[in-house]
Amino acid sequence: MSRKSERLVNLTIALLATKRFLTKSEIFRNIEGYEGSEESKERMFERDKDDLRSLGIEIEVGGLDPLFNDEAGYRIKPESYSLNLGDLDGIDIALLSMAAQAWHGQALNSAAHSALVKLNSIGINSDVDSIPTLAPRMAWSSEELTVVLEAIAERRSIKFSYTNKELIVEIRTVQPYAVASRGGHWYFTGMDTSKSELRTFRFDRVHGQIEVDATALAYEIPEGFDLLKNFEQDMRISTAVLEVRQGKAFELRKMATAVEQLGEWDRITCEYFDESSFIDLVLWHLDDAVVLEPQALRDSIISSLNEILDMHG
Amino acid sequence: MVKNKALPLIATERLLALVPYISAHQGVSIKELSEIFGVTASQINNDLTTLWMCGLPGYTPLELMDLSFESGYVTIQNAPTLKAPRSLTFEEIISLLFGLDLVRDSVKDNQELQKSIEKLVARLSEKSDIQSRLRASNPVSGVIRAAIEKAIDTKGLLTCEYHSLYSDQYSVRTISPLELRIDGGVEYLFAYCVTSQAFRTFRVDRIGKVENVEKTLDVKAEASYQDEKFLHFTVKIHNRLRAMKERFYIEESIVETGNSLSSYSAQWILRSIIASSGSVEIIEPEEIRLKVVSKAQEIMAQYASNERS
Repeated sequence: MSRKSERLVNLTIALLATKRFLTKSEIFRNIEGYEGSEESKERMFERDKDDLRSLGIEIEVGGLDPLFNDEAGYRIKPESYSLNLGDLDGIDIALLSMAAQAWHGQALNSAAHSALVKLNSIGINSDVDSIPTLAPRMAWSSEELTVVLEAIAERRSIKFSYTNKELIVEIRTVQPYAVASRGGHWYFTGMDTSKSELRTFRFDRVHGQIEVDATALAYEIPEGFDLLKNFEQDMRISTAVLEVRQGKAFELRKMATAVEQLGEWDRITCEYFDESSFIDLVLWHLDDAVVLEPQALRDSIISSLNEILDMHG
Repeated sequence: MVKNKALPLIATERLLALVPYISAHQGVSIKELSEIFGVTASQINNDLTTLWMCGLPGYTPLELMDLSFESGYVTIQNAPTLKAPRSLTFEEIISLLFGLDLVRDSVKDNQELQKSIEKLVARLSEKSDIQSRLRASNPVSGVIRAAIEKAIDTKGLLTCEYHSLYSDQYSVRTISPLELRIDGGVEYLFAYCVTSQAFRTFRVDRIGKVENVEKTLDVKAEASYQDEKFLHFTVKIHNRLRAMKERFYIEESIVETGNSLSSYSAQWILRSIIASSGSVEIIEPEEIRLKVVSKAQEIMAQYASNERS
């Protein structure tokens, strides 16, 4: 085992240090570890190249010199090999370290950890004293997160089983555009190709594995696609006027754009997106919150109350 | 994405990472390296022995890396080619971008840090092909969590403002935080509440304005969980199946025939049933079922007395 990794490290060093392309015969002659027949050296080298590439190391091929026997040459560009985030100071390193620690125990923990090791290898000391004490944390994440992210980066369609509103599992095909987390859940948004509509999906409603299509660059993400706007579920904002009891209904008060005090009750104006979840929220506050306007919303709440009474009567 | 990399490749990756790390931390101990790289000290020793054989072609002492580690402390010389850490992988960039979102949310009022974060996000985005199509968030601020973790570590007390969703009340409490846990994407804090003299579970996203108190309290956590009694109840979902399944944390895939559940708050059960707006029926216990009816009538009465049109 150590022979193989020793050879790979030596190959990396040689390809990194060279200013010009190294030919295969130069590699076999000079780099320790290539032994045996010409054929087995070839095989060894092919495998080594694949292995280094699988580690994310870019090997450039080129240097066909017309004057000589046009044998291909190889090298690794230091610019692509080494980390370069421009000028960083101690505060930057502290912020990035904090960011990496947010993944503690979650899906991208090992990637975040190896990023942290690299950042700590630049030779700049983290200046933690200059930033507040923080403990940012991802509350939940999905192993499928990186599958979708890579699909987005490579513009590949994905296919998966998804639980719909009526709890029926359907197969969906989506060109993913974006990933975001809100309120403890992870979502991805994309063009649902069977419905020809932008849709948002919650990771924990996906069943089993997400299948990634073999074709890369299969679609384009529309210019000006606004992630945040889309996560507001492109719904129109509605306004309601409510009366809420003093010292109660804090969740509704948080949504208020105007408050008028009336003694035992306060009159507040709220903006909301989704009617049915707003009704749920109003009813959560029991007899501490009453909708005055619009009449249609008031009627919906009264009819919900009638349903509750019929059901439990 | 490479999963389950072969052993020699994992080793190669580690070797390539060790050189820059040691270069930036001359004299680092083997013990520390084994913690950072997540392998045994003897594995680190093997790695260093391997690196000792590596260098530029020629492989005379002039070209080889110069490592010394016999003392248990490691120094490295003559390794200019591998001295810089490797560029970040796709997953590493993503993990940092998402993490920075949370850091940014936690330092909202610090302009300078906001600026630094924007700069870092821009540079990282450039390196990935994914740009700004990501956004992570967490309703819990990193500042509040840090204060809680500090209190847990030091067995210290914490004063906090708490908004209980179940009783819809704000209170200021002094608590002794014991354990943070995550359930279904929601963070909870298990603590001894000095104010109410009982063990309580708090939703961390409802905790505001915390302050560490320079006083400690030794709480025996073992006896604690019995403090909270579970109530068993049965519900039947009539419509809005997925939304209601998620609201009541139902694990089973079949919901139409009724589900047995438990909660430690009758208040939560009552509010959740009424806030389901007629989509969920409570079958048992009879007590809560009756309470649902009387509460719904009270709300109805509010609407009747509030008839202003």
